[in-house]
Amino acid sequence: MARQIVHRLLISFPALLGVLFLCFCWLQVVPADPAMIIAGPDAKAETIAAIRLELGLDRPIPVQFMEYILRVLRGDLGRSIISNKMVTEELGMTIGPTVELMVGGMLIAVPSGLALGTLAAVNRGRIADRIIMACSVAGVSMPVFFIGLLLIQYVGFKWALLPFTGRTGPVWDGGLPSLILPAATLGAVLIGPIARLTRTAVLEVLGADFVRTARAKGLRETVVIVHHALRNALIPVVTLIGLQAAFLLGGAVVTETMFSWPGVGRLAVGAIVSSDFPTAQGAIMILAMAFLLINLLVDVLYVYLDPRVQRS
Amino acid sequence: MSVEALGSPTLEAAPVGRSHVLRRLMRDKVAATATVVLTLVVLAAIFAPVLAPYDPYFTDLTIVMQPPSAEHWFGTDNTGRDILSRVIYGTRNTLMLGLVGVLIGGLFGGFLGILAAFYPRLDGWIMRLVDVMLAFPAILIGLAVAAIFGAGLAAVVIALVVATVPDVARVARGAAVGVMGQEFMEAGRAVGVSDTTLIWRYLTLNCISTIFVFLTLRFGQIILIGSALGFLGMGAQPPTAELGMMAAQGRDFLFMAPHIATIPSLAIFVIVLAANLLGDALRDVLDPRLQQ
Repeated sequence: MARQIVHRLLISFPALLGVLFLCFCWLQVVPADPAMIIAGPDAKAETIAAIRLELGLDRPIPVQFMEYILRVLRGDLGRSIISNKMVTEELGMTIGPTVELMVGGMLIAVPSGLALGTLAAVNRGRIADRIIMACSVAGVSMPVFFIGLLLIQYVGFKWALLPFTGRTGPVWDGGLPSLILPAATLGAVLIGPIARLTRTAVLEVLGADFVRTARAKGLRETVVIVHHALRNALIPVVTLIGLQAAFLLGGAVVTETMFSWPGVGRLAVGAIVSSDFPTAQGAIMILAMAFLLINLLVDVLYVYLDPRVQRS
Repeated sequence: MSVEALGSPTLEAAPVGRSHVLRRLMRDKVAATATVVLTLVVLAAIFAPVLAPYDPYFTDLTIVMQPPSAEHWFGTDNTGRDILSRVIYGTRNTLMLGLVGVLIGGLFGGFLGILAAFYPRLDGWIMRLVDVMLAFPAILIGLAVAAIFGAGLAAVVIALVVATVPDVARVARGAAVGVMGQEFMEAGRAVGVSDTTLIWRYLTLNCISTIFVFLTLRFGQIILIGSALGFLGMGAQPPTAELGMMAAQGRDFLFMAPHIATIPSLAIFVIVLAANLLGDALRDVLDPRLQQ
């Protein structure tokens, strides 16, 4: 298994390099000259030239790229133009809430998706199946912000059940209520696809020989479905989560903006709106790396869930 | 016999005719409804200037934030503009975004995928490129592009194209690899058909229905991404009507006049739902292989 993980890490290396390269290129084309920003609005031309020399901006692009990589490896992503804090510091403050939001979203989406999908499969063709599948298609077609708007309007405002702006603190420190609505918004998007795929997977497994054997042994139906059918149905669902990672990250950006959740996505949007390019670059890079990481985790989880993968 | 006389080989023994597809679609009640709804939406978007009861940009500060009424079916927004008219015009922009994104992205993605399948030497490179593109969620690309060129419809279109390319490239490559294994490819090569002809008439023609069905399936998602970018303020700028941006504007008045945000969101939902249902039905008829 360790070999598998190392192999997978090596495969994601080119993608990581590509991400860095694109971020570097992006900084080259963005309409902002770092030297001019550091020098201030009314600096003399010589000062700007001196800063350019100091920052190495006069050197050839490949050299600059290598230096950029080294700097990123050292954890130096520059300073925010707006707050003058180190970008890594800003990111450090926002990563926690984003991870919290995404984990929260998954904790809502995965169990409900699995439960609904299994329920639909077991009741195939009956009214429960139809209702669940109809809701799942509807769920896939909903804009993230629509779900968020409805939750804010009803649960947050009209019924005043839960807070809907900002984050009161970490989950373990009384922050749970403020996490529920954003996490539900983000998770709601994934329930539909997970339920749909679980249904297909469970239906397929229910026809398999080992399920028939399990039933023939006289196992209780719940045991057959949960231990035999659902466990095997998990594999495609895990793949789906990897495939939906991009969607999850995009959803996080929208959700954070809507709920004023102090995460990386909101940081990125805010930085772009205020032309704070170093911060925007850092936030975009972190989100892209998060995507690679999620896919890596999915692959590892795969090996754990399906020992056959390990052998092949 | 000349190569031209051979014509283009096709995989299906009995090609699925257009009328046949339509008939099978119409038999399915859900698909039929989705088709009708989508047709109406497209017609409304095309004939927006004729259909819209008011000027979508005309502000009237004496009638701000009115709930739906007989005069203004969907009510008015915070500057007294007629929401129905704005939704009709907004649908136009939102649909255009999705369509342009899917078409251009499909073109590039299909081309890359087919090239990767045809030239094994390029395969590794193209697929690595696709991997890197996949590492940037569409929303991020939208943000990055908006930072360079400024927020606007162009930024959203670029983001949607980039979001479409890698997925289509994968599907096209998958389909093309299947076709590459067919005997007629070998036969074509044996009788000396040029690479260009092999790619266009042998390979592409046989992959096109798979790519098309996949694009239909993606259309809804692309519209969702486009409207999310609009919602984040990276797309159409006020006063242009675009459904995502309209929802974002209405968010500020959610507690006083919820309809300003809800109606555009609902419009996106209806469009995407119809597109998804139609896509599913089309896939079942045209290319059941794509089914998960």
